[in-house]
Amino acid sequence: MSTVLTRPPAARDPRAPVETASLSLPLRRRTRGYDLPLVWSALALGLIGAVLVWAATRGIQLRAGADPQAYLYRHLFNLTVAGVLMVAASRVNARLLRLLGPAMYVASLLGLLAVFAVGSTINGAHAWIVLGAGFQVQPSEFAKLGLVVGLAVLFTERAARRGEDGAPAGSDVLLALVVIAVPMGMVVLEPDLGSTIVLGAAALGVLVGAGVRARWTVGLIALTAAVSVVAVKAGLLAPYQLARFTSFLHPNHDPLGAAYNINQAHIALANGGWFGTGLFAGPQTNGGYVPEQQTDFVFSVAGEEFGLLGCTVIIALFAVLCWRGLVIARMANRAGRIVAVGIVCWFALQAFQNIGMNLGLTPVTGLPLPFVSYGGSSMFAQGLAIGLLQAVRRLSVASA
Amino acid sequence: MPDRRRLRPGPPRLPIVFTLVASLFATLLVRALWVQVLDPHKPVQTAGLTHDGRIVLPAPRGLIVDASGRPLVQNTSAQQITIDREQLLAQPDHGTAVLDRLAPLLGTTPAQLAREITPCSPKVAAPCWTGEPYAPVPVATQASTQAVLAIAEHREDFPAVALRTVTLPEYPYGTLAAHVLGYTGQVNAADLKADPALADADQIGRTGLEAYYDSVLRGTDGAQVLPLSPQGYATGPGYTVAPVQGDTLVTSIDLPLQQIAEQSLAQEIAAKRKAGKPATSGAVVIMDPQSGRILVIASYPTYDPSLFVGGISNADYAKLTAPTADDPLLSRAIAGQYAPGSTFKLITSSSLLMHNEINTTSRYPCPGSVSIDGRVKTNYDSEVLGNINLENALGYSCDTFFYVPAANEYYADQRRIAAGQKPDEWLQQTASLFGVGTAPGLDVPAGEQASGSYADREIRQARWDAMKSQYCAQAKSGYPDVADPGQRAYLTLLASQNCTDGWRYHAGDNADMAIGQGETTMSPLQLAIAYSAMVNGGRILEPRLGWAVVDGAGRVVRTIDPVVRRTLPVPQADLNFIANSLNFGRGWAVSGAFAYIGSPYQSQIGGKTGTAEVVGKLDTSWLATWGPIYHDGSGNVRAKFVMVGMITQAGTGATAAGPMLKRIWDAIMGVAGAPVLPGIAPPTKLPDVRPQVAVSR
Repeated sequence: MSTVLTRPPAARDPRAPVETASLSLPLRRRTRGYDLPLVWSALALGLIGAVLVWAATRGIQLRAGADPQAYLYRHLFNLTVAGVLMVAASRVNARLLRLLGPAMYVASLLGLLAVFAVGSTINGAHAWIVLGAGFQVQPSEFAKLGLVVGLAVLFTERAARRGEDGAPAGSDVLLALVVIAVPMGMVVLEPDLGSTIVLGAAALGVLVGAGVRARWTVGLIALTAAVSVVAVKAGLLAPYQLARFTSFLHPNHDPLGAAYNINQAHIALANGGWFGTGLFAGPQTNGGYVPEQQTDFVFSVAGEEFGLLGCTVIIALFAVLCWRGLVIARMANRAGRIVAVGIVCWFALQAFQNIGMNLGLTPVTGLPLPFVSYGGSSMFAQGLAIGLLQAVRRLSVASA
Repeated sequence: MPDRRRLRPGPPRLPIVFTLVASLFATLLVRALWVQVLDPHKPVQTAGLTHDGRIVLPAPRGLIVDASGRPLVQNTSAQQITIDREQLLAQPDHGTAVLDRLAPLLGTTPAQLAREITPCSPKVAAPCWTGEPYAPVPVATQASTQAVLAIAEHREDFPAVALRTVTLPEYPYGTLAAHVLGYTGQVNAADLKADPALADADQIGRTGLEAYYDSVLRGTDGAQVLPLSPQGYATGPGYTVAPVQGDTLVTSIDLPLQQIAEQSLAQEIAAKRKAGKPATSGAVVIMDPQSGRILVIASYPTYDPSLFVGGISNADYAKLTAPTADDPLLSRAIAGQYAPGSTFKLITSSSLLMHNEINTTSRYPCPGSVSIDGRVKTNYDSEVLGNINLENALGYSCDTFFYVPAANEYYADQRRIAAGQKPDEWLQQTASLFGVGTAPGLDVPAGEQASGSYADREIRQARWDAMKSQYCAQAKSGYPDVADPGQRAYLTLLASQNCTDGWRYHAGDNADMAIGQGETTMSPLQLAIAYSAMVNGGRILEPRLGWAVVDGAGRVVRTIDPVVRRTLPVPQADLNFIANSLNFGRGWAVSGAFAYIGSPYQSQIGGKTGTAEVVGKLDTSWLATWGPIYHDGSGNVRAKFVMVGMITQAGTGATAAGPMLKRIWDAIMGVAGAPVLPGIAPPTKLPDVRPQVAVSR
């Protein structure tokens, strides 16, 4: 598959809209510049998510005498809103993006600041703003997008001002690091370890996409590793984070405390086997044993009720999504490439981290599985991200 | 390539990103394959799909009743206010309004209430709810009537708040017999660890009979069993197992006699205090010398056991344990040990007669003072009585009479030691046979019973070995923190003697022991046991307060009987002689008769005074009495009751303990009105204990 990336863009891509073989002209026009596999994989993940969220909440809702489909409907509603946001974002042009970039970045910073002022603590992280009537937003979800777009604009503008096309200057990189450090620092303080990791991954993707010299990337990775070691040794992590980390390493250490979630998710996944127990037939899921199963542990529903087959489909869909994102990056100009690689790194790492913690591979960090987990904030931010990828693609096709 | 890369960086890096991303997803696939299919030790759910939760319904404790079935500890019902946390959180405002309304009724704040009902966890610090998360949390146990009415009348304002009736111990006679009844407390973490059958909501006996018979009195807790979801929420009403109240403990305590004794004790102490004596504490023990049952144990100062119900407040506990409070929690009768003074002469006389060191007919000197190893020891007030026999030595309580044989016994032992033999130490041996140095084995916790003490060569040596360095250090430093110079000089001299000669047991020590001084101590209960042996044929009894355990249907589950520890080797004739020597019918010839001259029952009782000297304090006043006297088939002296009285720092035995016990004897003998115990004898028949009325909840 890596050959696809090294091919010249557009010309050989079978789905490139510049090809005239399409039979349906109106559709072709409407989807002109759209990467359909990207849309379909995101939509498929969202619909699978709807079913899994439904399965995860049905039992509890029934026992509580509530509508067993309540979460299903809300998830579908979120998905629809995300679709609208995607279409809107895909219409963004280069000029608007230049304006939007700094605006989104600043808005996400304000959102994170608001968390400190009026935020609520949910599951140990002070990361939420409760709007009332059951609605709450998690600004760190939007911060990921704001950071990627903001950085893209920063690098492009600086390069354009200098009028050169080479690797970003050292001063650009240092400025970018400041821009990265502000939201990351705030997320660290919330403290939201999961979002910190994903923000870091997205920022790293941006740097790679911007084509900074290898010594920067390697140096930053080394620095991150060193800081992480120091943070653990110096006790900078909150006790609940350390507990999650140690229980990830020793799942039987504290079976009713932090390790409970991991153990229960593990049982659900093990129940699944090759093909799963079938929809609504998972005892672990129906019994409600896995806490947060409709959000952070939604993957364990797929694991129990659809088995390894279901898990493979989900992982494959994420692989397709990231592949198409990288294809778009390959075609795009500097700004588009930065956005695309940033988003791909964000999605890839968030999916890996979430599925990994379900599988007992990574520590529990409270990150949703993109499109699949129940939750509005992340779904909307991800819809916007897919839309931006489409915009990047449309702009690069148009300029090709 | 290198040139191109420098000119157009970016695209060539994408394969690296792709490879990284692809490897992440490949890792997930491999891990999923292992977890879901290949792992040979897949975990399985062991919790079962549903399980039950238990809300403990504590059993009411059993009653403690007196020898006629009158309750000394009973149960009262109190209204407990509870909050159901699940119901509270289900309110639209998560119960904020309810807590706001409830808090002022309970004299607390909504925030405090919210903390109290939050289940404890690593993230939630005390105060928090230590019980099961689904169980209603008690927020007030003895709620005011006002609060209970406000909640009961406005149920709609207090959703999730419930009233439930709980039973709590109640003491209908207040402080009466507080030390022997003991107090109860709420079960704590240490209790739960020691006995897993206990529940948080249980009351547990902490001291006295409540503690000793806790397993009998506790009953069996009931439970409300709730089906629970895996999240721990109750999913239905479940079912209820009713608690079973604990059995009733019938004691041999006689309520009216106990009341009279406590009153007389308090009256005497008040009178002595009025006369300018400290009279810090006192005790009365009355026992049936034939059966070994205890009828009265009174101790002064005392406390109110109801302070401990539902947990004693810090302020109340501080008050009880303050240095100025004179330790009201300590039972002087059982846990206190004091020099018995001349009351010990029963044991000395028994020992001397048994080993033929003196006889009942010969006369021996009773000078004003004797010199033993150069130390002058005097009679009380240096009284000189010339040559007298044992009868008068006991009656007039001559000390010097006993010094001489005790010193001679000591010298004989020293000669045996010099000859390489073991010393006889008959006096110590006899004291030990009478129970001195061993806890009496009453049915209260072992830690509440004093053993008493005496000195001998071995004990001296062992203590000196352990304490030598401390004595020498004290002798050297000279007690700098003792203010009184006289006291300081005395203590320093004592420490200096102990440092060099502390191991040595002197002839004077043996003489001191003969008159119940020196290191000889006994509790009032031990003295009562010793005098009981004198009038029951020499039987040393393990006395009992408990008489029977009766179940809820009024059936006797078991009777509790005193145990005969040993029968003294003292000849019965000698015991008769001692008892007769001390009969109050001998009038002025018996020191203890002082307060009883002219009373209608004077010759029906006997008694021995004790006036024990305590360094730096006023004398401890003792009187051990027995009566009404009768004779068994062989003409041996017997008595229905043995009564021991003691007041510290109050003066002579005849002038303090004497009048105190006389008021009680007047009541027993029926001097004014009917005798308090029918037939002037301890009860012998168990009372009918009516079946207990079920406590509704």
